[in-house]
Amino acid sequence: MTRDAFIARLRAGLRGLPPATVADLVADYDAHFVEAAAAGRGETEVATALGDPDRLARELRAEAGLKRWEEQRNPSAAASAVFAVLGLGAIDLLVLLPILMGVLGTLFGCFVAVVAIFVCGGVVFAAGPFSGFPGGPVAAVLAGVGLMAGGASAGALLTLASIALVNGLVWYGRLHYRLLKPAIDGQA
Amino acid sequence: MVEAVQVQLKKGVLELCVLALLSRADSYAYEIASHLAEGIDMGEGTIYPLMRRMQDDGLVETYLVESPAGPSRKYYRLTQAGKASFITQKAAWSAFTKAVNDILGEAQ
Repeated sequence: MTRDAFIARLRAGLRGLPPATVADLVADYDAHFVEAAAAGRGETEVATALGDPDRLARELRAEAGLKRWEEQRNPSAAASAVFAVLGLGAIDLLVLLPILMGVLGTLFGCFVAVVAIFVCGGVVFAAGPFSGFPGGPVAAVLAGVGLMAGGASAGALLTLASIALVNGLVWYGRLHYRLLKPAIDGQA
Repeated sequence: MVEAVQVQLKKGVLELCVLALLSRADSYAYEIASHLAEGIDMGEGTIYPLMRRMQDDGLVETYLVESPAGPSRKYYRLTQAGKASFITQKAAWSAFTKAVNDILGEAQ
């Protein structure tokens, strides 16, 4: 493979990442070819030593997604981490997919239920005292507060479970790196 | 078996090796990669993600230098944190290898 073909395939594979990141990554590998040429090595030899550019791009993309999750713990970063791992396209990850979908669906359902409980609590708290709640206004206020607190704590537990799930997935995804190894997980 | 052990060993010392090379002189990725490829037979493409991670961790910083070979070279140098990390990791490595060598010596 020539230098141009390698760079073109790497660039194509990195599409979707921020342009500055792509430019940075491509510049690194481009400079590698320049230096290697100056040292008298052929383009094909260098490209072979660097590995398959499609695979390299997939792993670099995955790493970018996983890094984002490690820097900012929010739902959109979690989604990008999940897609990053799936983007590696490993066979056993595809086998994992139905199970993962089931777990994610269940978590989502639980979140909806928790939000509903919280809202119910709010309604009982606000409207209960004025609408003849069995046991009187004080019982209505207490029941409302109780429901809201229950909803909030269940939500917190669910959030912790989701974070643990995504972290597990990130760890599992990194096990599938072939080209980026061993550079990435040197801090283990 | 021997190969698997070597991979694990390399994994752990790669960052230490880069810190050591940079503690002697600033350098650019290709030069670091060729040193490491010669010394410990490391895949040369792996240097880039490693340098990126070390830069993110604040161990190294970069600056550009005009190059006779073509476009300017991106040089890496150790930050204060990088120098401190090198000293710590080097001490840990020496203590560890000494302990392992002692045990290996006993086993003979």
